[in-house]
Amino acid sequence: MNRVRNLGEVWLEMKEAKKIFKTALAEGRTFVLEHEAKDIMRAYGIPIPPYSAATTADEAVAKARGIGFPVVLKILSKDILHKSDAGGVKINLRSEGEVRKAFNEIIENAKNYGREKGIDVDLSRGVFVSDFADMGTEIIVGVTKDPQFGHALMVGLGGIFVEVLKDVSFRLIPFTESDAREMLKELKAYKILEGIRGEAPRDVDALVKIMLSVSKMVEENPEITELDCNPTFVYKVGEGALVVDARILIDNPSKKA
Amino acid sequence: MPTVSSGSTESIDIFFNARSVAIYGASASQNSVGQAIIQNFIKPQYTGKVYAVNPKYNQVLGVPCYPTLQEIEEDVELVVVAVPARITPRVFEDIAAKGIKAAIIISGGFSETGPVGAELEDEVVTIAQKHGIRVIGPNCVGVVDTHSHIDTFFLPEYRCGRPRPSNVANISLVSQSGAFAAAISDWTAELGLGISKLISLGNKCDIDDDDLLSYLADDSTTQVICYYTEGYDELKGRTFFDTAKKVTPYKPILVVKSGKGSKARAAASSHTGSLAGSDRIADAAYEQSGVIRVDNFEHMFDAAKALAMQPAAKGDRVLMITNGGGLGVMTTDALEALNLAIPSPSEELNKRLHERLPAYCAVGNPIDVVGDTDASRYDAVFKEAIESGEYDMFVVGMLLQTPSLGMDITNVIANYQRMSGLPFVVVSMGGAFTTKAGEIMELMGVPTYATGEKAALAAEALAKYGEIKYGDKFNKTLVSDKP
Repeated sequence: MNRVRNLGEVWLEMKEAKKIFKTALAEGRTFVLEHEAKDIMRAYGIPIPPYSAATTADEAVAKARGIGFPVVLKILSKDILHKSDAGGVKINLRSEGEVRKAFNEIIENAKNYGREKGIDVDLSRGVFVSDFADMGTEIIVGVTKDPQFGHALMVGLGGIFVEVLKDVSFRLIPFTESDAREMLKELKAYKILEGIRGEAPRDVDALVKIMLSVSKMVEENPEITELDCNPTFVYKVGEGALVVDARILIDNPSKKA
Repeated sequence: MPTVSSGSTESIDIFFNARSVAIYGASASQNSVGQAIIQNFIKPQYTGKVYAVNPKYNQVLGVPCYPTLQEIEEDVELVVVAVPARITPRVFEDIAAKGIKAAIIISGGFSETGPVGAELEDEVVTIAQKHGIRVIGPNCVGVVDTHSHIDTFFLPEYRCGRPRPSNVANISLVSQSGAFAAAISDWTAELGLGISKLISLGNKCDIDDDDLLSYLADDSTTQVICYYTEGYDELKGRTFFDTAKKVTPYKPILVVKSGKGSKARAAASSHTGSLAGSDRIADAAYEQSGVIRVDNFEHMFDAAKALAMQPAAKGDRVLMITNGGGLGVMTTDALEALNLAIPSPSEELNKRLHERLPAYCAVGNPIDVVGDTDASRYDAVFKEAIESGEYDMFVVGMLLQTPSLGMDITNVIANYQRMSGLPFVVVSMGGAFTTKAGEIMELMGVPTYATGEKAALAAEALAKYGEIKYGDKFNKTLVSDKP
């Protein structure tokens, strides 16, 4: 893995992230919006499905056509952290008609959500339009900031492995490539990545690369307090991996004494 | 040996090697802390100078007593503070005026009691920092150094034994808890385990786990560093991790950490946060930095003894040799459960062993040289097995209930260990005679255990540390159940 990057590149990555964090804090947010999270991911070379944003139904349709069907639409608002709870997510949209309908529903749901909560939901950013990624092996890659040890990265297989079996492993950030591979081997579900019951082995190298990129991102942006790449889909060997959904929470420096 | 630390270890060395000590709060009343401490320093083993400080007395137990440090004409290198918390700031002004750079605050009543105590502690820290005084404590029992005989434990020796150094290898323990430090002092004294230093850190207002790790890493009398910790101050876990990473390739670190429950994470709003919990992160940090975490003190000292006395294993292949079948099977079961490899001898080695052993000996793994053996069959097995290069480590069952096995077995074991440079672990199971034999074995440098299970844990520690020390060069033959 190429650990040496040119300085200009580092600067661009960091600049992108810092700009986004500044905007978020200026709006009183300690979370970044989905398209912002994806912009940061992209700056760090983390593979994500093609995406865009749209503020009108017509624009959503045009963007969807550009990306290619099927697509996913999600609400983008500084007032909505949990998008599904606000009816702000529509997946597997296969036609222009479906996209148009979904856009209108999402905006309507967001307004209703605002009425229930008694807030005037900001809708100026419209919706996030993204490629509906093919299902892969579901992985969660996450970051937490421990009060004693600082930032640590977690990895585990998604679904019941994380929810029920708590089958996850941790390393402090930064860590080496061999640490990353060891982390995966510590998982009880590691066999699934190696391919069981005739399934092709998964692209572990691509996953390791994502883990190292996230580690680098957090090392360079310590204001990140929590991060979830959930789900991350890992495909067959040679076919890579995609971070389908990303969430980043940041520290509010003004809250500190 | 690489040096981990900067200049700060010099300022810590004085706590273990001070040639003149003042006991602030020395007392003539029996069973008081101020008396117990001065009693330690008037023992003939401590060859430095000792002074008492207390305005109430002219002398305490024959030691000259002064109202303040400044009235002592000679230099004082270390002060032990055993006065009520509220007067410690005044005591520290006196320490600063005398120009002393090291103080141990035994007294409690500081941050552990609440905001008022915390304020006092801050006050003391401010004075200490201003004058460059390093502080251990408060709320601790301080230090025991078995070489210099600096001993600030306020527990009388008839209640709390003091360990001794060994000529072979020594362990040092850093404990957040004073009570555990004392119990371990007493316990290791009884076990006869070689100890170099015991340090109780208390509230860690200045010197913490990380400072001592840097110091002990470079301390030639410490072969293994042990920790008892309940947790770290904010981000101090991180600095401990950073230092530990540099130390573990050349000196083993063992940790017992309590506080496995998590509470701080309950409010976390992300998925990862809710799954983390500090203890899982601590586990990861230990793993990543090569610190070996163990579940309890018994396991810690069994492992530490092996790591102090023996070289790290360069691979996971263990040969068990025994003069009792049951012990062989019990021990190999335990080794297997701990993920160590127990390969059978190759055809070639098998043939050689059969040539040299009576037909009724069982050659395999374990190798049973049976109950009527003397030391010569062990000798034959060691020679052939070492020459074969098929094993990285030896676990030797030495059942001395049979009179045919003489005490020369200890020489045979020790010689082959030394010549081969491979780690050996001995099981000597039984009563008074075997315990004595075990002590003799350990004087010769080979760690000896009362059960096969304990010996297996020791072997596991030698393999685990080998993996940490040698990394990819460690010969791991056993592939776990993962394909």
